[in-house]
Amino acid sequence: MATIVSINAMAHAPGATGWLDKAPKHEQDALLAGYARMGERLRATRPDVIVGIANDHLLNFPMDSIPDWCVGTADNWKGPAEWFRDWINVPEYKVAGHRELARSIVRGCGTRGVNLAFSDKLEFDDNWSVPLNFLTPDHDIPLVPIHMNCVVPPVPSPGRCIEFGRVLAAVIQAFPGDARVAIMATGGLSHDPGGQKYFDVDEVFDRWFLDMLASGDTGRVLREVTIEKMMGAGDGGTVELLAWLVAMGAAQTLVPGRGSETMFYVPSVPLRCGMGGVEWSVA
Amino acid sequence: MGIMQTDRTLPANRLIFEVRRDAALRTRFRDDLEGLMRDYGLSAVEQKALREVDLQTLSELGVHPYFLPQVSRLFKGAGYNHNDSAAAQLYAEKMLKGK
Repeated sequence: MATIVSINAMAHAPGATGWLDKAPKHEQDALLAGYARMGERLRATRPDVIVGIANDHLLNFPMDSIPDWCVGTADNWKGPAEWFRDWINVPEYKVAGHRELARSIVRGCGTRGVNLAFSDKLEFDDNWSVPLNFLTPDHDIPLVPIHMNCVVPPVPSPGRCIEFGRVLAAVIQAFPGDARVAIMATGGLSHDPGGQKYFDVDEVFDRWFLDMLASGDTGRVLREVTIEKMMGAGDGGTVELLAWLVAMGAAQTLVPGRGSETMFYVPSVPLRCGMGGVEWSVA
Repeated sequence: MGIMQTDRTLPANRLIFEVRRDAALRTRFRDDLEGLMRDYGLSAVEQKALREVDLQTLSELGVHPYFLPQVSRLFKGAGYNHNDSAAAQLYAEKMLKGK
């Protein structure tokens, strides 16, 4: 059976690669060191494949048909999508997929009551391009991308996200063979593309959210981390943190009650995002 | 306004969604915006708002917030999108004036 060797979550905002030089040096240093540390820790667990969960930024699913989650089942991926290349400013890349694990996730979650869409055709923007650029710059670890709807209401509730994470972890663990699997959620923290807080970062919210995940208290997270609370910190983007709750749900399956460790946090107005990352120790 | 006020059925949302995914449509967005808007069935109010990059009105009509800074980038370019860039400043002028 497969082993989940790593669970983490991190911001993916495009400023980190698109205009990092506009941030003060201390922000640049903290961000680069944080991503580097997360990359070292991820690679040290020697994952055979990464299962990623991130917001689909209205890139793949038209508004007449938006799945809560869609599993990428292709053998090969590439990015960034053409129009986003200048914006994200990372070299074009290819990364392998893992069709068998992806199909297993679709089937296994289905039998456990979670209906997942799936597709061989997903375009990538900052959701994968930015984290992969920092964590696995050689793009040498296959990726099963799971795109989710965080920003077009109705979105999955925090409770459903945590439950999906639990189911996802169980399904991955049941995958035949001895694959070593990392779970990586991306998105957040506070940011507001398209809103009144476009040029703001809500540091108070971000630190509260990071502390909430560090508590490992799922009941408290379910009571207090509401969609309304996230929208209050930046309606257009902060709700991407729902992806982090999927990761939290997965971690709770492996190590119930264990909190996350904050790896870095940089409230960056020049990058228009609270930039940070966390890990759950699952060893 | 915000994500809760998004009108998923608004023709402008379909147009913007597809333009970002299709280089030929982006050429048409630049060269024949009027024809493109007619083909997608935008109302006269939507057409006027998009033509004038009136992001506030687009927002009030139900364009998804995520598309609003992207509209500014469709008109002003997407590269090096820092806070002083032409696209970000257009967004500030249209969405945050007086603040």
